[in-house]
Amino acid sequence: MADNFEPRIIAFVCNYCTYAGADLAGTSRLKYPANVRIVRLPCTGRISPLFLLKALQKGADGILVSGCHPGDCHFISGNYHARRRWSIFRTLLDFLGIPKERIWFSWVSASEGRKFADLITEFTENIKQLGPFTQYDKLIKEMSE
Amino acid sequence: MMQSSELTTKAKEYLRIAKVDLVIGYLEGTTKDRRRAGFIRSAEEADNLVLDERCEDNLAVYLVKENLLARYKKVAIFLNPAGIRTINVLASEEQIEADKIVILGFEITGGDVRILDGESVDDFSELIAQLKLKAFDSEQMADVDEIDSLDVDKRFEYWRGEFSKCIKCYACRQACPMCYCNRCIVECNQPQWICRSAHTLGNFEWNIVRAFHLAGRCVGCGNCERACPVDIPLMKINRKLGKEVLDRFDYFVGSSKDQQAVLTSFKQDDPQEFIL
Repeated sequence: MADNFEPRIIAFVCNYCTYAGADLAGTSRLKYPANVRIVRLPCTGRISPLFLLKALQKGADGILVSGCHPGDCHFISGNYHARRRWSIFRTLLDFLGIPKERIWFSWVSASEGRKFADLITEFTENIKQLGPFTQYDKLIKEMSE
Repeated sequence: MMQSSELTTKAKEYLRIAKVDLVIGYLEGTTKDRRRAGFIRSAEEADNLVLDERCEDNLAVYLVKENLLARYKKVAIFLNPAGIRTINVLASEEQIEADKIVILGFEITGGDVRILDGESVDDFSELIAQLKLKAFDSEQMADVDEIDSLDVDKRFEYWRGEFSKCIKCYACRQACPMCYCNRCIVECNQPQWICRSAHTLGNFEWNIVRAFHLAGRCVGCGNCERACPVDIPLMKINRKLGKEVLDRFDYFVGSSKDQQAVLTSFKQDDPQEFIL
């Protein structure tokens, strides 16, 4: 099971930094695992916690949330607001029993193609170790019974 | 008991001299051990008001329902410290005008009712500052710490058990003074963020969202938990987040009516040890 498990990873990224960083990783011909599905949003401030819940509901094994470094936000303060929101939200999820290890947060700038590729590689390895996210599966099965 | 009648007499006097045109207080409930909210408009009716150790509910919830405040010039309301903090939160979120409210403050400690001095919400700032100092101490957090000490799978199982009881009646929402949105997220169906039927997955999501919307806004009045017909320990989640907000951002909810909500403000040097 663990050997051929290919995790599904959703990355919510901001348009101005991390998406451009991912783009740079591509144009620089850097290799990173194909497990990640990137969802581009205008800003990290636009990433509602509901997106993360939906991703888990629809079978994501890991979620990456990434945006501009503090001070670099295209909209001045979107990432500062997002930072507070995430820090509370991950505490809440952890308290309710959804492992912190499945949701990563990072700052990746437009020039950090290498960081993006390394991050995805490391995250995918980690999720492979953890195995599939099954807690929600149980609930979904209960639902259809 | 002597003291608590002082406060109901005060309420009656306010109505008599027309200082206020509505008093929101407590009346005898349908059974002996319960109290219900009463909306008193005349001095004669005010004789029915009661105040004792069973008056636990936070009456501030009625201030934001049905646009009640628009119909009255001044409203006097019986509030415990959590209720007083509610006024601060609602005023800071521009849901009510704090100067329309006359507070009849009381505190229940160990079965006794103590009258709190003050009338406007600002009169209680010292009291609230004191509350902040002893908020979320280890005694209050014992049951939360107990859950925290479990490993993550056990925690999930614990909450799965609790949330599986949920019947999605949304009584927690209706009883909460902070849940005043005209259109709640669970009533939006394009897109449907939260599964609507009362199965455990949808219940999980609903309770995550409810708790998150109250992060940095919950004053801990306990209305939600008392309203829950299946006894889900909602206050454990609320207290967990309340402590998190206090520890991380030094933010005590409802400290003043000019306080900006914790999730709509930021500091450049907020902690970010979890971000890679």
